[in-house]
Amino acid sequence: MSGGYRAISWNAQKKRYDAILASGVVLYLLTFIGLCALLNPDATAETMLIRGFGTAAFLLLNIALAIGPLCRLDARFLPLLYNRRHLGVTTFLLGMIHGGFALVQFHAGGDRNPLVSLFTSDIQFGSIPDFPFQILGFLALIVLFLMAATSHDFWLRNLTAPTWKRLHMLVYVAYALLVAHVSLGALQSEQSPALAAVVAIGFTTVIALHIAAALRERRIDRGKHIAMPDGFVDVCAVDDIPEKRARIVSLHGERVAVFRYDEKISAVSNVCQHQNGPLGEGRIIDGCITCPWHGFQYMPENGAAPAPFTEKVPTFQIRLIENRVCVHPRPNVPGTWVEPACIKRRKAKQEAG
Amino acid sequence: MIQPLRQTHLRIFLVLAVLVPLIFVLALVKRRPLPPPVTPVHATATEVSR
Repeated sequence: MSGGYRAISWNAQKKRYDAILASGVVLYLLTFIGLCALLNPDATAETMLIRGFGTAAFLLLNIALAIGPLCRLDARFLPLLYNRRHLGVTTFLLGMIHGGFALVQFHAGGDRNPLVSLFTSDIQFGSIPDFPFQILGFLALIVLFLMAATSHDFWLRNLTAPTWKRLHMLVYVAYALLVAHVSLGALQSEQSPALAAVVAIGFTTVIALHIAAALRERRIDRGKHIAMPDGFVDVCAVDDIPEKRARIVSLHGERVAVFRYDEKISAVSNVCQHQNGPLGEGRIIDGCITCPWHGFQYMPENGAAPAPFTEKVPTFQIRLIENRVCVHPRPNVPGTWVEPACIKRRKAKQEAG
Repeated sequence: MIQPLRQTHLRIFLVLAVLVPLIFVLALVKRRPLPPPVTPVHATATEVSR
């Protein structure tokens, strides 16, 4: 273990986010149970709770999965991404309550251990209408537990961002397991077309948003840049980069963020060391590149986070030729100082020449 | 650095983007129709006709 534990700092934004989240969940549960009691007076309290918590967890997972692509498509959704992990942990807790109630309701009445009963009472894997869908929900819950348990930055630092990311990509597997759990479970016994339509709208939205975001990303990766004999690559004109912002370019398959600030230009890797967020979509704040996802900061000249932080990203050699920005595609060791290209000096040279 | 991770992400996503709708459609197509609601045996002819 290399990273020490640092307690979560509860700032005003986190508190507001969690307050909205908690009230939303409570409001949903009350509405769901109220409507259930009204439309189906024969349903028991346990059934209503099982269904209420289950649908709340599934709905939250749909929302959590939609936030990532929404932020790629429109920066106005970024505040939702900032504490998305809280959404994930809430999803796990709701799912666990749903699973706990279901285990007690359907598997605790016999002489077998409820968990043994879950895996052995129904084993018709070859039949779709009788498929043991509860096992799928249990497996999804295990994945959500792993993600919730490692959601703190302590685990992110110790597992390293790529490993942590890989682990958290299992959310897609959990989602597929849950769609199967609902389709082979609730949709078999509740045959209302409205219920099937809600599930279909959910996964179609999630898939469509991911495809739209991927197509937008592909445009960046497909950009063609001409390499010069010394290896430098012409990436854009100086005026293509807005002040205190960046232009993202793809060089040899890796994304580079070229920032313009205070009449200078610097290039760093586009990948934040925290959660691999897109640094090039951030801004220069207080002289530092600021990641749009969670606000991690780096100095544009050397890619190092200001003290006392220790994160570093690779930098790239840069120079200006006429009005063009040229970047060498070979990354420097993270934290290497690179003299920024000076726009003023170039203009003065041009005027003198 | 990040490129292999992005490709893994893409591969996982593509498999699931096909698998999820497939499971859903299969579950709907193969589901067993529910039996019609049973009329209570004590219901009168007038109640049934309603």
